[in-house]
Amino acid sequence: MMPVRRIIPYLIAIAASFAAAGIFIAAMGFDVGRAYATILFTSFRTPNGFVQTLLKFIPLTLQALAFTVPLSAGKFNIGGEGQMIVGAIGAAAVGILFPELPIYLLVPLVILAGVLAGALWGLIPAWLLYRFNINEILTTVLLNFVSFALIDIAATGPWRDPAAGHPTTIPISASGYLPMLIREPPLHSGLILAVLVVAAVYIFTSRTVSGYELVATGANPGAAAVFGINVRRMFVLSLVMAGAIAGLSGAIEVAGVQHRLIVGLQSNFLVLGLIIGLIAKGNNLAVPFVAFFIAVLEVGASAMQRTLMIPVEMVFIVEALVLLFVLLSDVVRRR
Amino acid sequence: MDDEAIVELRDIRKSFDANVALDGVSLSLLRAEIHGLLGGNGAGKTTLMNILYGLYRKDSGEILIRGQKVNIQSPRDAIQHKIGMVHQHFLQIGSYTVLENIVLGTEVAHRFTMNLEEEARKVQNLCERFGLQVDVKATLDTLPIGTRQKVEILKALYRGVEVLILDEPTTNLTPQEVDTLFESLREMVKEGMSIVFITHKLREVMGICDRITILREGRKITSMLRSDASEELFVRAMVGEDMNIEKSVFFARETYATASVDRTFTPILELKNLQLVSKEGVPLLKDINVAVYPGEILGVAGVAGNGQHELAECAAGVVRPTGGRIWMDGEDVTGASIADLAAKGLAYIPEDRLHDGFLPRANVAQNLILGYHRLQPYSDGRFIDWKTVFQKSREFIQEYNIKTGGPQDPGGNLSGGNIQRVMIARAFSMPCKLLVAHNPTRGLDIASMDFVYRKLLERKNRRNATLLISEDLDELMLMSDRIAVIYRGQILDVLERSRFDKYTIGRLMSGIREVA
Repeated sequence: MMPVRRIIPYLIAIAASFAAAGIFIAAMGFDVGRAYATILFTSFRTPNGFVQTLLKFIPLTLQALAFTVPLSAGKFNIGGEGQMIVGAIGAAAVGILFPELPIYLLVPLVILAGVLAGALWGLIPAWLLYRFNINEILTTVLLNFVSFALIDIAATGPWRDPAAGHPTTIPISASGYLPMLIREPPLHSGLILAVLVVAAVYIFTSRTVSGYELVATGANPGAAAVFGINVRRMFVLSLVMAGAIAGLSGAIEVAGVQHRLIVGLQSNFLVLGLIIGLIAKGNNLAVPFVAFFIAVLEVGASAMQRTLMIPVEMVFIVEALVLLFVLLSDVVRRR
Repeated sequence: MDDEAIVELRDIRKSFDANVALDGVSLSLLRAEIHGLLGGNGAGKTTLMNILYGLYRKDSGEILIRGQKVNIQSPRDAIQHKIGMVHQHFLQIGSYTVLENIVLGTEVAHRFTMNLEEEARKVQNLCERFGLQVDVKATLDTLPIGTRQKVEILKALYRGVEVLILDEPTTNLTPQEVDTLFESLREMVKEGMSIVFITHKLREVMGICDRITILREGRKITSMLRSDASEELFVRAMVGEDMNIEKSVFFARETYATASVDRTFTPILELKNLQLVSKEGVPLLKDINVAVYPGEILGVAGVAGNGQHELAECAAGVVRPTGGRIWMDGEDVTGASIADLAAKGLAYIPEDRLHDGFLPRANVAQNLILGYHRLQPYSDGRFIDWKTVFQKSREFIQEYNIKTGGPQDPGGNLSGGNIQRVMIARAFSMPCKLLVAHNPTRGLDIASMDFVYRKLLERKNRRNATLLISEDLDELMLMSDRIAVIYRGQILDVLERSRFDKYTIGRLMSGIREVA
């Protein structure tokens, strides 16, 4: 009963945003019905479409969690893409530096390097917050720009691939590639890692003592401190966890998809992650479901652009409207 | 007092969301009377008067002033109708002088030079007429609460009000200050003013009011002349039929003659030369030495803001004192972590429940285990056993009469009184040797207050110790074995039960030491 009632406002918000965006599509002279059929069903018509959706789903889920985990503690991590980039650099470095290692060692090492590098990138704003009380929103955003410079250096330095027309490193060793779950269409095992992270985050926040303390800190840091919770340590923990999760998404991108470090691999995952986290209202368990929905829209949008020539930005409008209507449904319910 | 009604409220209704705060309340205020508005917390007294003062809009009903139907939209309208109100929390500007605070928002004669001599004379005149002694040139920050209240009353008088509403005016006053306040009110009535006196204290209305209206759960129960009614009648009207007054601690006729405390045992809490200096170097607590023995309730009395909050936080381990030691049950626990103290058997009910005690964005069950979430039976130290937590939470909701949808209900849905019940339930949920309770009954209705008092007495029988810090002197005199009086961060005296006298305590509260 309860979950059904909670989903209803979401469904209304989605319907309302499609209706509103439909007006734009119609005004631009396109066929609204076909456009929406393309957006919604591309993911489910062909095996390739579904795999494409899952491949989007992985980084989106991880980016969204990198936002919602600190949010549980009342902290805003806007540095998910920086942490992802640094994680990708760490993963690529290990993959390039140790080519002779066997697959059962190199794959875990590549992933671990990404996680640790991301966690380190999360630790910087966490430490600045802990030690000097510097606002984490500011530091995480600014560290994104630092990471852009870092990936430029990494992709144009000694590991540069001179044959590529775009700033890119040479490929990592083939024994550092994530094993494939399905060969054709290609689906790598990063999906399992993402699902494991979702489960781990859920169990951590809802079942463990530390998770309870994290949530209590987010609910009211003042009261949490009075009742013996070290809230500053919780802030640090949440930001480092976020960094590790985002770093993992960077490592998966390198070891599973690109097999090398490419400038721009962060795509627009940060913004979509924020949107997903906000639509999910910070609920860690709702994140994968929302992320899947957004992945469907994203894959459908590119198909729509290919077949109907409707600009892909149309889908951004839909996504933004979903968020607006979900936020609005909160206001309406409070009346 | 004559029979002409100056204000008439007819069938006023007001609801907040699903909560009906006022359910058709009528009240008439006569010229030159002190009208007591009596009722427990949540009875709707303040809501009713906020509607008259224009702070809330009524849902339905009529307001008549001097026989004319009026529409009051804002406090400005109310003041135009010569109605003034003094709230529990004053809205004053601390860095301004008394005079500046009083004239703020009114027309002044010399608005560019701010030469306020005329206004000063007028205020001075009011002070003398009504016996409100205030130095109009003093900066407000330097004044004690009692004087700041006089400023607030002067503000209303200066605007020429004929109806003055006072919301729980005695909360922060010493007994002496209460007496002077009552004298001033009498003077005002002599000059033809009408006064509404909101309170939950029966003895106060019996002492000063001409007529009394009793509200309970948003309904008017009765209105009568004080001379027509007995105290019994009022008590019954206030609490309703459900409560057993015979067994009540709150209405007990004789003081609770509790078993005397044996002070040869090791004290459960001992503060030795406790000092606290703020970051700015201001001493907040000065050389405090008190001990609470097994089975004892030690009361701490004082006008709010004299170091009670700091004392509570030091005793509860929230703040580390800058000097001195804290001993708990024969063990030096100065600087121990709050988690350790909780494991050793310390419970804390903070004063500011919204800021220091409650998680509005977490559910009721999560709130009920805050601070005990690492301990058995809620947790094995790593994982939380939610099944047990929920089962326990349901028991607490039942026992402590917390009005909520269930353990999974968000805390933000609870009303102030229910939040207080959660805090009480949490503090009493674990067997604890030492309870530090700061204003534990604030915001509770009479039946719930009584419940808390019985729980405190049970603690005595189990030989647990309680440090009870309260603004309510009646509560302290009812419950405590000894009362320590705090003034500007110092304990001036610790009184035995035989020396409990509200004027003695009142003198100490205003910093006057007994010359023995």
